Amino acid sequence: MSLNRQLQLPEGVDDFLPEAAAAKRDLEYKLLTLFQGWGYQEVVTPTFEFVEVFQAGQATGREDVLYKFIDRQGRVLALRPEMTAPIARLVATRLKREKLPLRLCYSATVFRYEDPARGRRREFHQAGVELLGASGVGADCEVVALAVEALLKAGLKEFLVGLGQVAVTKGVLAELNLPGKALARVKEAMVGKDWVRLSYLCEEYGLKGDARRCLELLFTLHGGREALRGAGPINKMKAAREHLEHLEEVLAVLERYGLGPYLFVDLGILRDFDYYTGLVFEGYTAGLGFPVLGGGRYDELLQEFGYPCPATGFAVGLERVLTVKNSLDLPPEESPTGYLVAGEDLAGVLMRARELRLTGARVELAWDLKTREEAAREAAERKLSPVWVSRGEGNE
Amino acid sequence: MNDMVVTIALPKGKLGQETIKLLSVAGLPVEGVSTEARQLTFGFPRESLRYIVCRPTDVPTYVEHGAADLGIVGKDTLVESGADVFELADLGFGYCRFVVAAPRRKWEEAGGSLETLLAGSRRVATKFPRVAARFFSDLGQQVEIIKLHGNIELAPHVGLADLIVDIVSTGRTLKENDLVEVKSIFQATARLIANRVSYRMHHERLQPLVEKLRWASYNLGEKRDFHILSS
Repeated sequence: MSLNRQLQLPEGVDDFLPEAAAAKRDLEYKLLTLFQGWGYQEVVTPTFEFVEVFQAGQATGREDVLYKFIDRQGRVLALRPEMTAPIARLVATRLKREKLPLRLCYSATVFRYEDPARGRRREFHQAGVELLGASGVGADCEVVALAVEALLKAGLKEFLVGLGQVAVTKGVLAELNLPGKALARVKEAMVGKDWVRLSYLCEEYGLKGDARRCLELLFTLHGGREALRGAGPINKMKAAREHLEHLEEVLAVLERYGLGPYLFVDLGILRDFDYYTGLVFEGYTAGLGFPVLGGGRYDELLQEFGYPCPATGFAVGLERVLTVKNSLDLPPEESPTGYLVAGEDLAGVLMRARELRLTGARVELAWDLKTREEAAREAAERKLSPVWVSRGEGNE
Repeated sequence: MNDMVVTIALPKGKLGQETIKLLSVAGLPVEGVSTEARQLTFGFPRESLRYIVCRPTDVPTYVEHGAADLGIVGKDTLVESGADVFELADLGFGYCRFVVAAPRRKWEEAGGSLETLLAGSRRVATKFPRVAARFFSDLGQQVEIIKLHGNIELAPHVGLADLIVDIVSTGRTLKENDLVEVKSIFQATARLIANRVSYRMHHERLQPLVEKLRWASYNLGEKRDFHILSS
């Protein structure tokens, strides 16, 4: 099966043919323009860095997804699996003296050793923002609002952004005072979305009444702002209450701003539980089994780089958005009209083409067509307008 | 969005019958539905429901990718698939256990110690390589796993493997093949699973169905009090 490897691609990476590449570039451009319109400045970081950058703030198991290699001095390098850690490193070092908050955005391919058979790619493109040095309702509202606008700008028709708050979950777990092993197992069931295991664990550890009700709510609480009123028992827990109030405030502001129809609350959204510290969110769209967007607050990451600083952000998966858009059967965008320039004298053809391009037109050269008729036929076939340059014409 | 057609993936084979019974007790349409017929999809436009019938091992895949919103599948298959889905209810039926089994003679020679047995035997045949690999690596044992697709009990007989990891419900097959259960890994029953995006996006539409199925599984009286070991 390794025959002809020269003609094959490894699993999990893709070629983009002209139409797909154009769609991706267009989406990338729309998103970056949107981010810049909100004051986010683009940064570019290297494709590979020292592996330690990507290990910061990550659970050890996550390292399995890294593409690692060794340089000639024996140091371990890795391809970036996401953009947040490199940007955190950048801010904690070269941008340390900048006035906060900092608004940065990016568009980059990232690399993860994932299982392609499970709908995951090994190289994919993310566009996103990081808002650094700001916490509180204002910063969280800005980032969620921008996330919704990004999906609107991307042209998705039916989508929702779900908001969770991992600080509520962390607060409830802290107040339950479970022994270490039990805490780890409850956390694993919650992160693994395993309701069945959670119920068995509740029985095993004798969790009853409000304690059990709270855990169940963390799993099931879902809906609009009114759903938060059903969170009664969680409100009794001091370590969780203020975070729940924070979530409600964010939602209230965004509803008044008019984003209510795109938002819901779901305390079961935990994302990467150990990494995030506050409000987290995911974008979902009809017809795709995976989120198209994800993000949240990670106030503890930058201190790993020696610069304690609150931060939040999100990333959009470009390929996932494009997959959904392809299935929407949108009418193909009209390609701009263009010219086919041919003639008897090559220099004249080049000159004429330059003139036409100055008007913004797309111009293709045809250097091997011998007659005006031939050029007209070829142009018709390619849906271009023919232009014939006679000898001497270019010198005028 | 609330008139969307909900797709439920049903397993072919031994869980099929009980699954249909569960749907019927839950008040969902089952007229003409069979998991063993040639027909693979059953639509009920009035209820905005659609069933698709798949091989049990494919149910987690359909649900993980969102090709089905909900699915019914054994915990054994689910664990082996490693699929990233919501596990919403223990449906109680389809009870079985994951066990490590060895030929009786070898087990006696090893004096009833798994460690001694593993000292000389490293090849494990199984239909569930992921479950087996995890179990042995948690024990700190390195083994060679041989993936088979069925009739695992044959492997030790013909010298393909020293041990097997398989699911048993009554233990009769083991006995008939002169194998003994050496260690129980965990116990499994059928589960209701959901796609993680669909369950969030169409929560209002799916949650009533989930409640109905949960209620039906209680009412089928299949709920037994077994201890689920951590998996």
